[in-house]
Amino acid sequence: MINNSRRTFLKGLTLASMTALIGPSLLSIGDAAAAPAAGAGAGAGAGANNDGWKMAGSHWGAFRARIAGGKVVEVRAFEHDKHPTEMLNGIIGLIYSPSRIRYPMVRLDWLKNRHRSNTAERGDNRFVRVTWDEALDLVYGEMERVQQTYGPSGLHTGLVGWRQTGQFHTCGNHMLRAVGMHGHTVTTAGDYSTGAGQVIMPYVLGSTEVYSQGTSWELILKHSKNIIFWASDPVKNLQVGWNCETHESYAYIEQLKGKIARKEIRVISIDPVRSKTQNYLACEKQYVNPMTDVALMLGIAHTLYSEKLYNKQFLDSYALGFEQFLPYLLGTAADKTAKTPEWAAAICGVPAARIRELARLMAKERTQLIFGWAIQRQQHGEQPYWMGAVLAAMLGQIGLPGGGISYAHHYSSIGVPASGAAMPGAFPLNLDAGKKPKYPSTDYKGYSAVIPCARAIDALLEPGKVIDYNGSKVKLPPYKMAIYCGSNQWHRQQDRNKMKKAFRALETVVSVDYTWTATCRFADIVLPACTQFERNDIDAYGSYSNRGVIAMHKLVDPLFHSRPDFEIFRELTRRFGRDKEYSRGMEEMEWVQQLYEQCRKENGSKFPMPAFAEFWQKGYVLFPKGKPSTRHADFREDAEINALGTPSGFIEIYSRKIANYKYPDCPGHPVWLEKNERSHGGPKSERYPLWMQSVHPDKRLHSQMCDSEPLRATYAIQGREPLFISPQDAKKRGIRHGDLLRVFNDRGQALVGAHVSADFPPGVVRLQEGAWYGPTGPEIGALDTYGDPNTLTQDIGTSRLAQAISANTCLVQVEKYTGKVPAVTAFGGPKEVKPK
Amino acid sequence: MKKIWRWLAELFSKPSTRIGLGVLVTVGFIAGILAWQGFNKAMDLTNTTEFCVSCHTMQGNQTELKPTVHGTNRSGVTPGCPDCHVPHDFSDKIARKMKASVEVWSHLTGKIGTADKFEAHRLRLAQNEWDRFKANGSKECRTCHDYSKMDFDKMRPASQEPMRGAAERDQSCMDCHKGIAHHMPDMKNSHNPAFDSLVQAADSTRIQDGNSYINALPRELYSDEALGKAAGRIEIATPLKVLKQVGDAQQIELLAWRKSKGYGRVWYSQFGMNIVVATLDKATAQDKSLVEVLESKEDPNTGLIWQKVRAVFWTKQGGVMESADPIWDVARNSYQTSCSVCHKQPDVAHFDSNTWPGLFSGMVGFTNMDKDTQALVLKYLQNHSSDFDKTAH
Repeated sequence: MINNSRRTFLKGLTLASMTALIGPSLLSIGDAAAAPAAGAGAGAGAGANNDGWKMAGSHWGAFRARIAGGKVVEVRAFEHDKHPTEMLNGIIGLIYSPSRIRYPMVRLDWLKNRHRSNTAERGDNRFVRVTWDEALDLVYGEMERVQQTYGPSGLHTGLVGWRQTGQFHTCGNHMLRAVGMHGHTVTTAGDYSTGAGQVIMPYVLGSTEVYSQGTSWELILKHSKNIIFWASDPVKNLQVGWNCETHESYAYIEQLKGKIARKEIRVISIDPVRSKTQNYLACEKQYVNPMTDVALMLGIAHTLYSEKLYNKQFLDSYALGFEQFLPYLLGTAADKTAKTPEWAAAICGVPAARIRELARLMAKERTQLIFGWAIQRQQHGEQPYWMGAVLAAMLGQIGLPGGGISYAHHYSSIGVPASGAAMPGAFPLNLDAGKKPKYPSTDYKGYSAVIPCARAIDALLEPGKVIDYNGSKVKLPPYKMAIYCGSNQWHRQQDRNKMKKAFRALETVVSVDYTWTATCRFADIVLPACTQFERNDIDAYGSYSNRGVIAMHKLVDPLFHSRPDFEIFRELTRRFGRDKEYSRGMEEMEWVQQLYEQCRKENGSKFPMPAFAEFWQKGYVLFPKGKPSTRHADFREDAEINALGTPSGFIEIYSRKIANYKYPDCPGHPVWLEKNERSHGGPKSERYPLWMQSVHPDKRLHSQMCDSEPLRATYAIQGREPLFISPQDAKKRGIRHGDLLRVFNDRGQALVGAHVSADFPPGVVRLQEGAWYGPTGPEIGALDTYGDPNTLTQDIGTSRLAQAISANTCLVQVEKYTGKVPAVTAFGGPKEVKPK
Repeated sequence: MKKIWRWLAELFSKPSTRIGLGVLVTVGFIAGILAWQGFNKAMDLTNTTEFCVSCHTMQGNQTELKPTVHGTNRSGVTPGCPDCHVPHDFSDKIARKMKASVEVWSHLTGKIGTADKFEAHRLRLAQNEWDRFKANGSKECRTCHDYSKMDFDKMRPASQEPMRGAAERDQSCMDCHKGIAHHMPDMKNSHNPAFDSLVQAADSTRIQDGNSYINALPRELYSDEALGKAAGRIEIATPLKVLKQVGDAQQIELLAWRKSKGYGRVWYSQFGMNIVVATLDKATAQDKSLVEVLESKEDPNTGLIWQKVRAVFWTKQGGVMESADPIWDVARNSYQTSCSVCHKQPDVAHFDSNTWPGLFSGMVGFTNMDKDTQALVLKYLQNHSSDFDKTAH
């Protein structure tokens, strides 16, 4: 019987992979019929009729766009994308958003008084239109002044995150190369998504894990008996990808749904909220009090140990430091508290009997743990990730197919094996060999040249302060000018009112973007870039699967006075005579073609690619399916030769290196630490009883697409960002679905729309991150009219180790809003004023 | 039968009695000229692109060439097959022609008769040509491309630096420009072409017994002079001492550190730092007569006991250089290019040598680096980490 079903399964697999192989050629006939003019006019830009179907790629997937009368009028998912995201419906709204930056603009008072302007006026949204030449002269003049007055510690180049896709136009490379040719700057370490995880995991499992390819889904589906989604919502988060997204993981999640229904795999979602994934899979739910996952894990670990369910042999062969961890677990360490299920139950809200049941379940059969990123975006965010690895080590299934732990199966189709093909490179970020910046000084005057990204605001408020960071000391630099390019600092950083105050210390802020984000509102010089749909480019198809290469045809010419970042920064470098060096004397299509041809050369005859012209016409090249693999299998096979990247080469349950840092908020092994504010009976919960989670949004990519009016209309309530709230909490406050609410705490206040949903338990509300900030005015404490969660979150480091963000450690109160209702100010750009 | 033999013998041995010597010499001379003409004609005929592609095996190569700059360009000056693939001076040309008979044979027997079969042999065939170009310094390329006549300022900005350097070193064109005319063979499992410059540097090292050197590329280690008993592998950029050189073999001494947990197969350059210098077979690592333990101490960061070890191995002759700088140049270039595709690459000295492996393994999957390049870049990062460069923080 078992054999039989396995054979059927294998047959299914073969069929599936054959479809994958045959699919393209059969389907491409269909393409040709559906999109006869694809690529024909792309790149020509010769004023000829550009109408017809063109190919485009994006974080939301590949698609074909129909151009009529010089406008994008229709978007259809790429025919090979079997699970396209609803967000494609927002593309046209993104291109033609009323929030688009139309012209280079300068803040009124800055134009009058330059770097001596009244910076408390920042955010009043009054800007003056200038020409490109004026704007770039101003930017260049400021770069000169800052390098001459302060040196490199005076200029900050903001971390570039989810830039628009496209390997040539990738805006961060353009900004960093151009600014780098001029002089050195203060840069950042880490990022806003995985700041704690990527710092702690190298100590524990020897890799960042958060961005590592994971065990292939087909092996998980074949071997796992239990899958635990721990604060992970892949169905929501797999809609977007770092490069052009393929959405291939959904096929496996679909299979998983079938296996759950047939009771072949048991899936438990450990989460305070009933997630999108849980609703889709119809899997089991295990509620846990917010931010108490470490307590739950310790309870499970205690059971594994006391009931001898843990794999001692695995710990002996593959891990170090279990002995140092045991006294803490068993209650013989300094805190004299055994981490029994009863102890855990009192904190995490999961009954002790259920904790024991979970432990037995995980130990009994092959169990795959799949963690999301949310639980490391909180105070002490290092701990749940470390404790998760300890749990996995005790279960002893690390390196086995369908066992062990993953920290990223919700991201960019991780778990779909790589084809093995090389992907295109990018426009060079660095200076060419042997070249020096115009200002070669690297004298940071004793300040750090690199700061943890989340501490960028602290540097403005407390310049010169020395902070701990990952075993070293960082002296926060007093930067006076900041340049942001394709990055929305006023979305990702926590605590708006703290930011407002801090930004007053900045003399000059430059923002380059295509849409009028809050970062532009709080800038002095705003430069309009065009969208990725207004320039020619190529991109990798599938960040991890390396499924293929996608052509990104220019759909329409840049709107208004916007320009590609390449042209913006080439013009900037022209001002100090280095534009030829910057562009290497090549234009857009020469670069695109060169990146393609280099990739083609690297792939050689193993992964044949057509010549550029043919590729550009067709719009894509696809590579066959890769071989499935198991995370850490090589380590399990030979731990000495394939040692982990930890200091010892083994899994470190106890890290002497971290212990030697002597950080009270991140000791030598994972521990339960109380948060500075926590709902469900924790600190400050009497005053602010609701835990607010600011998860990655369902219908945006962070703050991208919030400005797409038709898409926003599908989820906004009374024009505001929805606040998800439980029926119980709503009833208690007399709130009904669709009401206008004020959400507030000591840090800020925002207007939001009530979305009452039984997916949420009492004491938990959700305001999705990326909602645009729209304050009523520049003053500190102003009401946010749209509902940006970071109006309310706190800006503290996770710990001295990672110094990452703690957005999910946030308590709020909610009330029905009865005052005069202000208009939403987040969208539609600035108030254009004429200078006197 | 005998009669014919005798007649022939007489014809060649007896002086002519009927025809004058002058006539004979003249006729012989003319015949010689005609034969030479025929030979040259044959040489010329077989030295045309038309002849080369008359076999369908070679037609694919011509198709590949066409879209490249050596197949079509604005001025219409292109080389034919023999311009690049047949040496221009007489004796080398003859030698190449003799060799070519093998290729014709392969074609006739169908060894490379189809596109798929040709593909299967592409790497080997390309390697033959690369070896030839390596040996003659890409002489055929340089009939047209002459370093002394290059105007570096007219080159693309990105090309200027590398080309100036190449001219100074009189570097062989094919070191860098492989795949310029025909498709590259599948190289995923073979080495990074930038490693060729290291081979070249190693080739010109004058090795003296008793001196210390840097290992230029990963090499096999043996426990015997005959290089018969495999013992492990020595990694790139590893410092070593050459004890003596016997024929094709080189005896070296390795001084390193290892962890006492496990079999002690992996050797590291410094105490407490996971910078791999050699990997030994299990038996070799455990062989007390081979491996001498000089010292043991506990690593404060992990609690593991580390041993200082010394051993003597045999390897193939050559393969070492005076300084690791050329190795780091190759590594730095790979790091800066590959790791800035998605983000600004971190300052190398921002992390210590035991943190880099974890960060690197978490990100390297996004790059197109092959295994050897990955190992090299990691080693570069570790050797230039905050453990060695104290200027950063």
